[in-house]
Amino acid sequence: MSLDISFIGILIGSIMASSVPLILAASGELITERSGVLNLGVEGMMIIGAISGFALMVLTDNLFIAIVGSMLSGIIISLIFGFLTQSLLTNHVATGLALTIFGIGLSAMLGKNYVGIPGKEFPVLFSGLKEIIPFFGPILFGHSVVLYFAFTLPFLTNYFLKKTKLGLVVRAVGDSPVSASNQGINVILIRYSCILYGGAMCGLAGAYLSLIYTPQWIENMTAGRGWIALALVVFATWSPIKVLIGALIFGGITILQLHMQAIGFRIPVQFLSALPYLMTIIVLVVISRDSRKIKLNTPTSLGRIFYKEK
Amino acid sequence: MATDLRISNISKIYPGCIANDNVSLQFKSGKIYALLGENGAGKSTLVKILSGVISPDNGEVYLNEKNLKLSSPLDAKKNKIGMVFQHFNLFETLSVFENLSIDATEDNKSLRIKINEILKKYNFSIDLDVPVLNLSAGQKQKVEIIRCLLRSPKVLIMDEPTSVLTEQETEELFISLKKFCDEGILIIYITHKLKEVLSLCDEVAVMRKGKVISVSQTQNEKVETLANKMVGQKLAKIKKKINISKIKDEIFKVKHLNFHSDDPFETNLINLNFSVKKGECLGIAGISGNGQNELFQILSGEIITPDTSIIFRNKEIAKLNPKQRREYLMAFSPEDRISQAAVPELKIYENVALNNFKSSNFFEKGLVNERKIKEHSKKILSDFSVNTENVELKSQFLSGGNLQKLILGRELITAPELLICYNPTWGLDVGAINYIHETLIKINDQEKSTILISTDTEELLKLSDRIAVIYKGKLSKIMPSEEVTPEKLGVLMGGGSID
Repeated sequence: MSLDISFIGILIGSIMASSVPLILAASGELITERSGVLNLGVEGMMIIGAISGFALMVLTDNLFIAIVGSMLSGIIISLIFGFLTQSLLTNHVATGLALTIFGIGLSAMLGKNYVGIPGKEFPVLFSGLKEIIPFFGPILFGHSVVLYFAFTLPFLTNYFLKKTKLGLVVRAVGDSPVSASNQGINVILIRYSCILYGGAMCGLAGAYLSLIYTPQWIENMTAGRGWIALALVVFATWSPIKVLIGALIFGGITILQLHMQAIGFRIPVQFLSALPYLMTIIVLVVISRDSRKIKLNTPTSLGRIFYKEK
Repeated sequence: MATDLRISNISKIYPGCIANDNVSLQFKSGKIYALLGENGAGKSTLVKILSGVISPDNGEVYLNEKNLKLSSPLDAKKNKIGMVFQHFNLFETLSVFENLSIDATEDNKSLRIKINEILKKYNFSIDLDVPVLNLSAGQKQKVEIIRCLLRSPKVLIMDEPTSVLTEQETEELFISLKKFCDEGILIIYITHKLKEVLSLCDEVAVMRKGKVISVSQTQNEKVETLANKMVGQKLAKIKKKINISKIKDEIFKVKHLNFHSDDPFETNLINLNFSVKKGECLGIAGISGNGQNELFQILSGEIITPDTSIIFRNKEIAKLNPKQRREYLMAFSPEDRISQAAVPELKIYENVALNNFKSSNFFEKGLVNERKIKEHSKKILSDFSVNTENVELKSQFLSGGNLQKLILGRELITAPELLICYNPTWGLDVGAINYIHETLIKINDQEKSTILISTDTEELLKLSDRIAVIYKGKLSKIMPSEEVTPEKLGVLMGGGSID
């Protein structure tokens, strides 16, 4: 096997592609958690996004409708979570878990008739440049629009949280909903919005899997990526840029260990399969050691039920 | 322009409790008004209504004869009513500037200019770009005040503002409040501290059990008259008991207590030696932060220091942990009732059982004997006149005074030979303070000993038989309390020397 420069370029390109769903879902969940809401339903929202995106593609033959529809379905299912936790004040953890189980079950039911149907090719951008430029070509070009969006998203999220007024309000709500409410901020509205935004991103992450990454519907095709996204947010200590780094490391080691398995390294396969999880956690823990920063980034009221005094 | 705030027939009823019962009051700008009352008298409910956090069941609020509809905090803000809550409404992880900008209408640049003007005008020094969690309580309060001032308020309400401040910070606050008052801001000052009312306020309204008991000019009032109005009965004057001059056995003896810490927020203790006799109260005075925390933790066994000798009832206990020390009949009442002495989320009876794993029959074969614990808890509640009979109540719903009574009651279950308490009456109202003091005296009368670590000089002089002062981790010589005057204590607490 030749480890020439162009191969490495292709490898990096595929690593980027594999980390897209993690970046999308984790960025969405990050905003949700920054507002103080812990939604463990990421996996469920992703899989619903995956099936509804794929089903809409088959039904309408329109990829745009499929993408938008997957986001809408993510929003709808997260609305259930929002209504339960914010309006009926149920426990965030239990509700989120239930949402995941519900999502997996519902998607399997909806997807029954879509198993085995081939997907459609998703258009890629700048495919010409991909071939011409060695090394950088496969890294920078020839990706779907969703990938480019995913890679700008952490920076946008960072800018939103740090520089905009609304981002400030979101952080304030996550820090102390009681204080925010006493300052006249509509805590419930902000939290609902963040939950729905998180739902939309998870839906999109799911659609990326079923429409672009492996264009077909397979039951349970998110395969735990939602849980990885959740873990990324925590281990990245709620910093969008670190989420990006973490997602790339995870995607990178996943792809690399597949190659290692293929080459036939004398390391137990189980260990190689566990490697991405282990390495991602180790790296993120190492780069997020600053306890002061952790304290400043952590939404203090995460997962706590807020109710307004009357 | 003069401001006139009128509250008319406000009522607010919670299940099982009338928080405000037909409250009517009138305030005019140019004066500082005190709203005085014990914990639970309904002051906080009233100011929450004024600031729009909760809405009253009945009644109206008029500002300059305009009827205000205060259904949200925004309404209060719009009507230029500013409010500084007892528990700060700040975002700890956001910077000071972010905290202030969150509800500001102007852009960041002009906001910063405006804030700096306020800082300069009132001589506040606060770094705008550090996170709020790095600020002291006094600074946090200033941030809250600035937040109000940014909206050029007509009314400024301060809810128990000095409960978290040092004396120095309290003085600074009073100076600022008087300035605001001179500038025409109407100030309503909520407190249960009588001396503050007398030194700061012009008029005082006393509340009790949700009702306004009296409104009067402060110049016509004295500490005693206000206290009686507030509590509703004549407070028995506690007499300082007669010093036991007889030679008694030493029950507790500490030698070579040294403590060294690398944490800059902790104080090192340098060679403390003292002893406590049977039936005696040893007072340890000092300004907070001079090593009291560390001393308490070492005496209770939370911190074990090498080379220290602690003899209690003729046994060496310096290496024992708090639980083992309790078995030797020591008891402890830490300063922080909520996080150190009790678990607020647990029910009363559960808290009672917490420190009695062995001494009583609360537990059998590893199982909880709920019935016995509850019986015992009921007894504590009635013996120590805690104002509830419900042992299932979560401890967080008890007021400070009642929680302290519960903790003392719990500690005294085992009939300890030595009780060590640290600021037992911190933040309590007069009625509760009186009760706690009586209890502590009773303990001494029964020939049991106490160590009272306190920052309240008056309390120390009232209760102690002998007093020492701790300053920067060193203990002064121990003096019989009849030789001690407040002035002497003041000198020693400030690091000076007498004789």
